[in-house]
Formats: sequence, structure tokens, C-alpha cells
Amino acid sequence: MSVTKPVALSESYSTPKKGFPKEDLIFWILAILVAFILLVPLYVLVKVSLSSLAQAAAPHPSYLIENPTLDNWRRLMKWEDVRAPLMHSVIVATGTAIIAIVLAAPAAYVVSRLPSNTRYLLILAILFTRMFPEVIIATPIAMRFFGWGLNDTNFGLILAHLIRTLPLAAWILIGTFQVIPMDLEESSAVDGAGKITTLFRVVMPLALPGIAVAAMFAWLDSWNDLLYAIYLFLTERTLPLQVYYYANRGNITDVATYSVMMTIPVVIVTLFLQRWIKSGYLSGAVKG
Amino acid sequence: MVAPLFLYILYFMFIPVAQSIYYSFVHAGTQELTLDNYRTILNRSQFNDAFVNTIGITIMGVTMEMVFGIGISLMLVRAFRGRGIFRSIVLLPLGVPTIVAGAAMLYFVGFNGYINEILLDLGIIDVPIYWQQSGWRGMFSIAVADVWKSLPLVVLILVAGLEGIPEDVYEAAGLDGANGWHKFLDHTIPLLMPSITMALILRAIDAFRIFDIAMVLAGQSIPVMQSFVYFDYRAGNTNTAAAAAVILLLMIVVFVVAYIFLVERRAEVER
Repeated sequence: MSVTKPVALSESYSTPKKGFPKEDLIFWILAILVAFILLVPLYVLVKVSLSSLAQAAAPHPSYLIENPTLDNWRRLMKWEDVRAPLMHSVIVATGTAIIAIVLAAPAAYVVSRLPSNTRYLLILAILFTRMFPEVIIATPIAMRFFGWGLNDTNFGLILAHLIRTLPLAAWILIGTFQVIPMDLEESSAVDGAGKITTLFRVVMPLALPGIAVAAMFAWLDSWNDLLYAIYLFLTERTLPLQVYYYANRGNITDVATYSVMMTIPVVIVTLFLQRWIKSGYLSGAVKG
Repeated sequence: MVAPLFLYILYFMFIPVAQSIYYSFVHAGTQELTLDNYRTILNRSQFNDAFVNTIGITIMGVTMEMVFGIGISLMLVRAFRGRGIFRSIVLLPLGVPTIVAGAAMLYFVGFNGYINEILLDLGIIDVPIYWQQSGWRGMFSIAVADVWKSLPLVVLILVAGLEGIPEDVYEAAGLDGANGWHKFLDHTIPLLMPSITMALILRAIDAFRIFDIAMVLAGQSIPVMQSFVYFDYRAGNTNTAAAAAVILLLMIVVFVVAYIFLVERRAEVER
């Protein structure tokens, strides 16, 4: 797996053959069916967010968008109502992503330069932390943070989200750093560059796609989190909490509208960054 | 350079886990060591439901994810026009928040939802089914939302595995006259096993810890382990909540150890 070639799938295979044998027809029908099924949930969310409550709650929902209305969006997207939860979500996710990279990158770099046995053990230990259910951590954390007055604060939620994102970021980053050949660093040292110069001039640029992916996963993980937010935020709300409370109240158009709102930015970001998401980042660290 | 990360994980992860385990063995009033918390929750029907639901959702969800995941991965490693778009669509749910995956499912499994509507239109059922109830229907609803959200991760891991299978294996099999299905069963699956194991363990661990989807889809009416712990904690029962959390941890550890022990050992015997 090489770092400099970000497009994983599209390059290594030959161009499709011309012609249309029967097998290909079945393949295409399958592909279109899969794509359709995967897209339908998003379509339905958008559709409900554009329909009136009466339409959405009708005994027989329509399959197509009929008489679209922006009423839900106008009613819910008043800046003074959206501002607080949106700001909490944006600030917490961004803070979590930055701190996760700052804390995890140096550690991941060091681990990636360890002998493979030790490295393998540490990676297993990181995977092992995933086995802890969040609630077993969240209960004492909530009690501790309430004692510190960190409930309903962005800082408290960032600290909590780091518990989950640090191992994730470290895992991706170890995989990133370990494929950067040590020869590069050695030859840079031979050329007279200091350790710090080498790190920032040689290693970091090569690791940038991996760092971007790690930051993106950390950001998404925080943006999506309901569990720590529901433990730590009692009066304030983040976007996932808003979705949860609207769903709890049973207002199905409001749920859809809020869902679409919090999904649009992340789908755009992931679509944009998809070419850097190499399958190798998620499994590379585990291979010897 | 390693210290900040490890100190953070020690202080904010391992110590809380130890605290929870301690709370679970402590009597809420007298602060004496006791097993009462475990006895109390084992006698609560909500806990038993949560236990059964969690295991059911995990089995249904992970099975579907592996079957669809392997299928889609095999499609993705083929060369065809439009693969870039297909890949983007397959990876799309990766960015969708988990709670939104659950919310989207509301419109499918609701009484007036699309699953009932399609089944009615096709004439398979005459009366709408109530999906959001405890039992296999509720588990299925939650599992389907989980599958949609998690397929991209499974596909990413399996595609990496498939790309690592050298092409001469296929060529050799082709010379031996192996047809597609045999090629798949005899060569692809065994060589893909490390990736399947990893995807399966990762997904099962996450399925055991399912929370967002169950909360938004069913709240307290279909309890799962993590939502049970949350509601119990919110009700002020820190100690029994901790006991339930410890049981969930045990479920995960037992599953992982058993899987590795059974599957990996059998694989070694076969070699």
C-alpha cells in the first residue's frame, strides 16, 4: 500500500470490456438494485422533510414527492433556534478532531517505528479498548464531570468524545505512518536534516492523507455522538440530541428535517474526502 | 511523545471502567460489598428483554452485514463503467450519523411506513404489521438500520482483503477448471477469512453496544443493553446500572474470546 497514490480501487484494474454478455446484464441489474436500496433511506428523509405533517402521517404514504413544502424548514431553521445546538455540535466536533490529532499523531508515529511484535501488541490493545461499552465509561465520567461543573459545557463533551476518538485516530495514524519507509528518514538525516525538520518536511507531507482521514473520522464520530451528549448535556442540546428529542415527541416531519440538516454537511464532507479513504487505512495497521 | 495519549486513556477510560466494576459490587445504601445489584437486575424483565434484544440484533445484523458485505465487495473489485459512482453510493452511509440512520428507519417500520405499504401493495399482507414492538420484529427493525449504516465499513475491510488475494490463485484455479461458485467457496472465502474475521468481530462488538438507533427508533419500548444502562442510571440507580454495564462488557469479552478460540482454532486444525 503506498501513500502517494490516494485512489485505491480505480487504478489497479483494467478498463471494462466492450459488449454486453448475459452475465453482465445480471451484474448491472444487481448493482442498480443495491445502489437504489442504499439511497432510498436518504430520499425518504428528504421527502418527509418536504411534506406537511398530514401528508407524512397519512395511512398510505406516497412513494414520490407530492406538493413539496418548505414549511418545516422555515419553521425549524430559525437562526435563534438552530444556533445553540448547531454551535455546540460544530465546536465540539472540531475541537475533538484537532485535539485527537495533536495527541494521537506523535504517539502513533513513535508506535509505528517500534519493532513489529511490540507494535502488534499495542495495536491489539487499542482494538481491545473498543470492547468497553461506552456506558461503562460514561456513568463514572458523568459523575466526575458533574463534580467538576463540566456538564452542559463544550469542553466537557470534547473531553468525553476524545475517549472514543483517540484510539480510533491512533489506529488509523499508526497504519499511515508505518507505511512511510524509514529509508526516507535515514536519507534525509544523511543529507543533514535534523530530526524535527525530517518529521515536518518528509514524514508529515506523506502522512497528510492519513491525517486528514483520521481527523475526518474523529470529527464525524463526535458530530454523530448521542451517548456522551445525553449523559452530559441536561439543559443544552447538540444536533443528535435534537433529533432524539423530536423523535421522542413523535413529530415525524421535524425529525426528518433535523436529520437532513445534520446529514447534509457530513455527506458532502465524506463524498469530498472519499478518494482519500483507502481501505488500507482501516486494516493496514493490523497487517504485520 | 506517547505519554499524553496513554495517560489520557488510562485516566478517562480504564479508571472509569474500574470504577463501574467497583460500583456494581457495592450496595447503594450501606456501601458494603454485595451481589445484590446483579440479583436485582436479573429479576427485572426490562433487563432480560434488553439482554435478548441485544443478542438478537447482533446475530441478525452481523449475518446480514457479512452476506451483503461480501456480495458488494465482490462487485466492487470488478472493473465496470460507473464503478466510481457505485463506490461513492456504497460508501455514502459512512457519513450519515447513526441516529439519522435510526430516524430514517422510522418511516419504513412505522405502522404507516413503507415496509407495510410495499407488503400491502404487493398483496403479501392484508393488515399492516406493527414492527416497533419487542420481539423479533423490533430486533429486525433495529438490525436493518444498523446494517445500512455499517455496510460501508464492512465493505472497506473486505475490499482490502480481496485486493490482497493474488490473481495467480484465480488463474491456477481456472486452469484446474474450477467454475465461479467453486472458485468462490474454495479459494476466495478461505483467503478472505482474516478480513472476514476482523470485520465480523468489529461489527459484532459495535452491535452489542448498539444505542443511538434503538433510542431513536424505540426509546424504552425495545430496550437494548446500553439503553437499559442509561435509563437505569437516569433513574438514579447508579449501582444496578453499573452491574448491567459490567454484564454487557462480559458478553462482549465472552463473544470475542469464543469466536477467536473456535474459528481460529478450527482454521488451524484444517491447515
